[in-house]
Amino acid sequence: MFGAAIIKIAFASSILSTVLYFLVHRNPSEQMKKIARLFYELAVVGIITASAFLLYFILTHQFQYYYVWNYSSTDLPLSLLISTFYAGQEGSFMLWALYTGIIGLILLRYTAKRGYEAEFMAVFSAIFSFLILMLVVKNPFKPIWEQFSTELLHVGEIPANITSYIWVDQARSLWAQVPQEGKGLNALLQNYWMVIHPQILFTGFTSMSIPFAYAVAAMLKKDYVSWIRVATPWTVFGSMMLGTGIILGGYWAYETLGWGGYWGWDPVENSSLVPWLVCVASIHTMLAQRKNGTYIKTNFVLSMFCFILVLYSTFLTRSGVLGETSVHSFVDPGMWVYWLLLLVIGLFTALGFGLLFSRWKEMPVVPVQHTLVSREFALFLGASSLVFASIFILIGTSSPIITNILKGKISAVDPSFYVTTTLPLGVAIALLAGIGQLLWWQNSKTDALLKQLLLPAGLAALFTVVTFIMGATHLSMIIFIFASAFALFTNTIVGLKIIQGNPKMAGGAIAHIGIALMFLGFVASAKYDNVKTLNLEQGKSVEALGYTMKYVGYQPMERGRFGFNVEVEKDGHKFIVTPVMFKESEEGSLIRNPDIVNMLTKDFYVSPLSLEVPEGGQHNHEVTLLKGKTETYEGMQITYKGYDFSQTKEKGNYLVTTIEVVRDGKKEIVRPTMSNKGGQPTFTEASLNNSEIAFLIKGMNPSKNENEASITIEVKGIHDEGKPQGPKAETLVIEASVKPYINLVWMGTALLIAGFLITIVRRIQEVSKK
Amino acid sequence: MNLKIVVASIIIVGALIFGASTFLESNIEYMDFERAQTVNKKVQVKGKWVKEKEAKFDAAKSQFTFYMVDDNEQEVKVVLDGAKPNNFDIATEVVAKGRFKDGYFHANELLTKCPSKYEGDGAAVKKTL
Repeated sequence: MFGAAIIKIAFASSILSTVLYFLVHRNPSEQMKKIARLFYELAVVGIITASAFLLYFILTHQFQYYYVWNYSSTDLPLSLLISTFYAGQEGSFMLWALYTGIIGLILLRYTAKRGYEAEFMAVFSAIFSFLILMLVVKNPFKPIWEQFSTELLHVGEIPANITSYIWVDQARSLWAQVPQEGKGLNALLQNYWMVIHPQILFTGFTSMSIPFAYAVAAMLKKDYVSWIRVATPWTVFGSMMLGTGIILGGYWAYETLGWGGYWGWDPVENSSLVPWLVCVASIHTMLAQRKNGTYIKTNFVLSMFCFILVLYSTFLTRSGVLGETSVHSFVDPGMWVYWLLLLVIGLFTALGFGLLFSRWKEMPVVPVQHTLVSREFALFLGASSLVFASIFILIGTSSPIITNILKGKISAVDPSFYVTTTLPLGVAIALLAGIGQLLWWQNSKTDALLKQLLLPAGLAALFTVVTFIMGATHLSMIIFIFASAFALFTNTIVGLKIIQGNPKMAGGAIAHIGIALMFLGFVASAKYDNVKTLNLEQGKSVEALGYTMKYVGYQPMERGRFGFNVEVEKDGHKFIVTPVMFKESEEGSLIRNPDIVNMLTKDFYVSPLSLEVPEGGQHNHEVTLLKGKTETYEGMQITYKGYDFSQTKEKGNYLVTTIEVVRDGKKEIVRPTMSNKGGQPTFTEASLNNSEIAFLIKGMNPSKNENEASITIEVKGIHDEGKPQGPKAETLVIEASVKPYINLVWMGTALLIAGFLITIVRRIQEVSKK
Repeated sequence: MNLKIVVASIIIVGALIFGASTFLESNIEYMDFERAQTVNKKVQVKGKWVKEKEAKFDAAKSQFTFYMVDDNEQEVKVVLDGAKPNNFDIATEVVAKGRFKDGYFHANELLTKCPSKYEGDGAAVKKTL
């Protein structure tokens, strides 16, 4: 098919571009460089064209493509329809390749200006080739009849009733039926986050390959020093994009998936956090190298790991090795993808580290000149803490693989593992983020440092006392709060001074304030949240967590969803929250979306659990009886015999039914009645002798044919011994929680991103001046 | 210089020991119900839920009760803290994490394995023709 052919052409030309660029590196030639560039651009045009085709097929509902059928349907709104582009493995690799290709065009010009084009693009184009190769293997343009040959492929005449078909081979009268509807998008993904989150995350993944490509290119050029300047803006850019992607994923989980939190230490979350931590660590060691030339090898290693860990993360989440230990359901993509990903990880690791070891001896050794009380050493310790955190998270996330090898069974670690291991590192990171700002390069005077420490440390101590009084009394939390507050105050003090001088240099301080606020937000919202499961009987007020809640009923919403309205009252303010529950399909899973009341100092979070319908209500204890036919109900044989009709002045239309009931071997006749006067029907129940059991008419279904006449009755007074008593009224079960100061997390994130942004601008200006 | 290397190696080794011991502690062992009954710690058991028996949510206690057979066909009542998991009805296999208590398995986490509903199967394509 056409699309698949374009992908193959793009693959060939990006491979060619890699080879040519490498030859240019060996033997500089402007002519050949132009050709290499051309092939790279051709590959990008190919991927853009293929992406445009895929999008067009999705928008026009061409279900003859397996991918389009598998992830989209005709009933999706436009934004979600577009997002089905990357809802599956094939499409998300396509998106990744697309963004890589396009960023490569920018990098091509950026590196050409700085004499790095041949080496950098040789590596970058190799990475691009790998992504396109994934598309060659997992073809998004696979015809649906290749997947379902037995169901869809036919030979011979096309029956007249089949309107949707495609000739596969007319000469052999081979044709395929084409579905008229798609399977649709997973209901969990059907919200606006699906439109934005994957795009940013894949831009982040894409940008993680830039530090790798720079590091390898620098080693090819035997440039161990100046590459840092060229690479820094991109490393910071990668951290910003991937960081934004990660936190948006967390917000998605919090706001719509109803996991109760923004972070669950799920393998998919972790595996994008690990390369981010390493990339952030490399920003710090790069800064140290810029200042005094140390950490040359460290910077190569960390920069290469940014990308290798993204590959490993892809392997973890896409190859099926995690089994059922992740909430993100990934389908086993088959052995091809598994081995290809392993091969590519091996290949890029061997390339990068092979080069590193071959250059090891010739790399300059800069003697460490700084003392232990210097900014360099603080940067080194901070970067080490980040790396250790990433190693712990990596080990925990790889637990399914480790346990599979050691014990032959896949099992994940308890989420507490991550908390236990990263908490001390978080404390270290916070303290260093504070102290580092007060230290001078090379050497600081200890007494001067202590003097400067006094104010922020004092403020932090005061802050910790206040939070202690507010209830943060766990020892580990006291330490963490103190460290975070110390980072907050130090960076605020230092940041204010910098902004008065040169605002462009405030990126670091602002990012550290952001991190400190995030840490404080984590403690408040995750450790000191207040959770309660509540039964809200319809119309009845329930008090909990300082709020008054009343379930007032549900209403249908768009696309088969149901919203459950809960009135929330606090200090005279009234809010309506509408958590959502619905069945994805008849036999599908239950989807629950929470609703949140956002307040300045806290969120009130309402997550629906279930709707309990009263027993003995409409559905449970009603029986429809055909005239003359005996039904068995709760151990009784019930027969509807017929009715007598009369018209009187007092009662209007008056109807007396005859129902025969056999209970415990005894036969009895009961006569529930219905009267209708002036259009108002009245029903009278009739009970069995010496029993609570009574019968009430719910509806008459007369028929011309005597034998088809039926009556619907409600059987009252049935007690199910041993069975739990159901609720008396419709009851909404919710999990309500108060998340204090969760806004600190979002505010901190915004500051962190702003800090990255300021730093990018500063570093780009710096490298452009040269 | 030597002192630095010694200090650094002590920190690294210490961190690795700390990580490894936490890892072993928080790695929840897989076993069948028979063994799970004899050990007093958090374990995980893989099996199927018994569709013929009741599976219900007790709103008052916020617990979900169902019956489960492990791979050795031993049937045990499982009480899960929390509501019925989203995919429970269509789950072909479940993994319960928790421990035995008074003759039933008290789970605080339940993983569900679903038929690969996102990978097209023949029945699904027939529905959309």
